[in-house]
Amino acid sequence: MTDDRSSTALTTGPELERLSALVDGELAPHEQAEVAAALAHDVQASARVEDYRRQGAALRSLFPLPTDVRYVLVLPRRTWWRRVSAALAWAGAGMILGTGGVWLSTREADPWAFSRHADLAYAVYAPEQRHPVEVAATDQAHLVEWLSRRLARTLTIPALNEYGYTLMGGRLLPGAAGPAAQLMYQNQAGRRLTLYITEAAPQHASFRLLRQEDRRTFYWASAGAGYALSGQRSEPRLREIAMDVCSSVGGNPQGWQ
Amino acid sequence: MSLRDDLAACLPQLRRYARALTGDAAWADDLVQDTLERALARTSMLRAHSNTRAWLMTILRHLYIDQLRKHRELALDADDPVWQRLEAPVGEVGGLLLLDLQRALYRLPLEQRDVLLLVTLEQLSYREAAAILQVPVGTVMSRLSRAREHLRMLLGSDAGSRPGIFKVVRQRP
Repeated sequence: MTDDRSSTALTTGPELERLSALVDGELAPHEQAEVAAALAHDVQASARVEDYRRQGAALRSLFPLPTDVRYVLVLPRRTWWRRVSAALAWAGAGMILGTGGVWLSTREADPWAFSRHADLAYAVYAPEQRHPVEVAATDQAHLVEWLSRRLARTLTIPALNEYGYTLMGGRLLPGAAGPAAQLMYQNQAGRRLTLYITEAAPQHASFRLLRQEDRRTFYWASAGAGYALSGQRSEPRLREIAMDVCSSVGGNPQGWQ
Repeated sequence: MSLRDDLAACLPQLRRYARALTGDAAWADDLVQDTLERALARTSMLRAHSNTRAWLMTILRHLYIDQLRKHRELALDADDPVWQRLEAPVGEVGGLLLLDLQRALYRLPLEQRDVLLLVTLEQLSYREAAAILQVPVGTVMSRLSRAREHLRMLLGSDAGSRPGIFKVVRQRP
């Protein structure tokens, strides 16, 4: 490859490796600055870097760090027992597998699983520049009608204008137990919040927080629907907005205090 | 910190890595179990290895490759019988998009998936990944780059039907 400084140069192995190294923070400071500067003039290369970052975010959402404490506490003890039964390896393996299966099935029945879907949907769509929503807010009547029909419930779209966020629109997503709606809001600084709504949530109202990297999701249930508000704002601020959203969709945030 | 505390502290990450590597929850749990068993039987080796987590991941990966060989399933791809019976992360995190990503992940050759998971999921440095994979850092870089491009191609190829998830990408010659 010659000194062709356009994006075609980036199809060579070493150039692609440099883009990877940039994403992973593995470049020396001077190289880092050099590659970053080159990106400003190269739409394809910067799209590529963006894609690499997205792959990473999606992979980390696909495999969240297990938080099940029982597993962590039980495992080391069981290991000793299993060493004893190593001679009976197959029987031992069968039992461990069986136990794992029970544990997993209880976890899959987690009625709050929708919060992870909501977080993932935020991680994937909030950075989206060209297609952040399927149906834009300019056609709000259609948006409400469409999502209400697909979710088989009358959807209330809360206004977040007093927090500086305007509705961009929404999209329909496959949820844990049926369709889910994602509404997206944006403020003047370009920061985004999403409100995720789905069926099959616990009947009793409760209020929880999911933390994934720099993303925060407050979630709760109300009248058989699960709601999750995701964003990259500070927790107190997001909590405040979440409580407001909760009351505007007919929930009772007083119980959270 | 006792050794057992040390091992327990690594468990969530170890389990995540196992699940991502195998794509199979039951297999992953078994693999973690085998890894701990082996680790506890060889605690003397840990002293030579200052990084417990990397040491455990190295053991886990060796066990995984051994088990793959035993099952004669080294060539893991979309048509592989192992893939056909995978169900783990799909039900857990769910969604069409994840399914696509997961499928694409297991269509990568093992050597690409391996390095991609160590660097992007486990967020190890290139040097740490190289130590676990027992290859030079340069090999980590080239495999990683190929893995990312490969994934881009796999995910881009059907982006036309669902715009906005991953941009359409044409693989260049």
